Amino acid sequence: MRTASRLSAACLAAVLAAFGLQHTSLAQTFQRKAPTPADWAALAKLPDFTGVWEIPMGGGGRGAAARGAPAGRGRPTGPALTPAYEARRRANLAKAAEDNQTANCLPPGMPGIMGQPYPMEFLLTPGQVTIVVEAYQQVRHIYTDGRPLPEDPDLKFHGTSVGHWEGDTLVVETVGFSPLTELDRATPHSDKMKILERFRLTDPDTMNIETTITDPEALQAPYTTNRVLKRHRNWTIAEYVCEENNRNSVNDSGKAGINLELPGKKD
Amino acid sequence: MSRFCARFGLTALLVVAALGSRAAAHHSFAPFDMSSEKTITGVVNRFEWTNPHSWIWIDVPNDKGGVDTWGIEGMSPNYLARRGWSKTSLKPGEKVTIVVRPMRNGQNGGMFVRATLADGRTLVQSGEAKD
Repeated sequence: MRTASRLSAACLAAVLAAFGLQHTSLAQTFQRKAPTPADWAALAKLPDFTGVWEIPMGGGGRGAAARGAPAGRGRPTGPALTPAYEARRRANLAKAAEDNQTANCLPPGMPGIMGQPYPMEFLLTPGQVTIVVEAYQQVRHIYTDGRPLPEDPDLKFHGTSVGHWEGDTLVVETVGFSPLTELDRATPHSDKMKILERFRLTDPDTMNIETTITDPEALQAPYTTNRVLKRHRNWTIAEYVCEENNRNSVNDSGKAGINLELPGKKD
Repeated sequence: MSRFCARFGLTALLVVAALGSRAAAHHSFAPFDMSSEKTITGVVNRFEWTNPHSWIWIDVPNDKGGVDTWGIEGMSPNYLARRGWSKTSLKPGEKVTIVVRPMRNGQNGGMFVRATLADGRTLVQSGEAKD
């Protein structure tokens, strides 16, 4: 009996391997239940995250919004990098690039996408929180259905996120980031970077997002920042097709440019 | 020592500019001379209410008896609409005076700072968003 079950397990493994499904099968075969009326009703007991939220920008944009204010007191300080990553950051800065690839409409990915001067909308459905980010028309999918994080994730701009509720706080863990995203300005991350976010309402229309980045190769210590967002009940998320009329650019040498050719010369 | 101070100051300025730009727009201020302002007066050729930036094109009389068309980059419609602007804030044929951060390379273009229309209306981009 024991031998038989071992054999069938070996068979299954062989079949999975044959289809190249060994790793991804774990995540892909997570069984998602159809939501029940009780699942929908349970959403009403969660904090009300619905609607459109924005980091207040005041006079047209502040650096603290992009980076997030440091947790606790004091002046903004960057992440405490390991010597190897500090050297890489300095090398990047020494290139004196005038801009980065967002000038060419490449979205910044995580964590930068959460600090844009544009709002975001939270959608809560059974087993999932969806964040619709206006900037670059991006979407984050946070699975709250109990699935595990992938052990060997594909590397993506937003990584792969799972979340759970601790009281009134949505706790989100994210892994697997594209090397095209930055940990901080001019600062690369390793494939071991993880981001932990804690979303909670501090008053009915104020949300605090505490973000902690860990990366055993890039960081000497976890790097925590805070952002405060305000809810705008009457707003809707606007369209943002960056390629619609992008006249900005940056080339491979980091030189920024603008196309000042007249639009539609003929008419 | 003074060289160190100068370099430190320049670095700090670049960092501030870079951080500010990330928050303020989808690209850096590099093409613009952020230390100077230029005032130009002309007639609106067209107003592009588009992403990732709005563009104001105005015909400015030149000293040869013709006009030069200037391209002026502003924030996105998304950002401006929440601060009182609309696609009709500037209409073709309207006379307008615009303050810009001019292009570093001397081309006829710049980054929008503020505008005054013939009827006295002023347009700015900054300020808290409205509900």
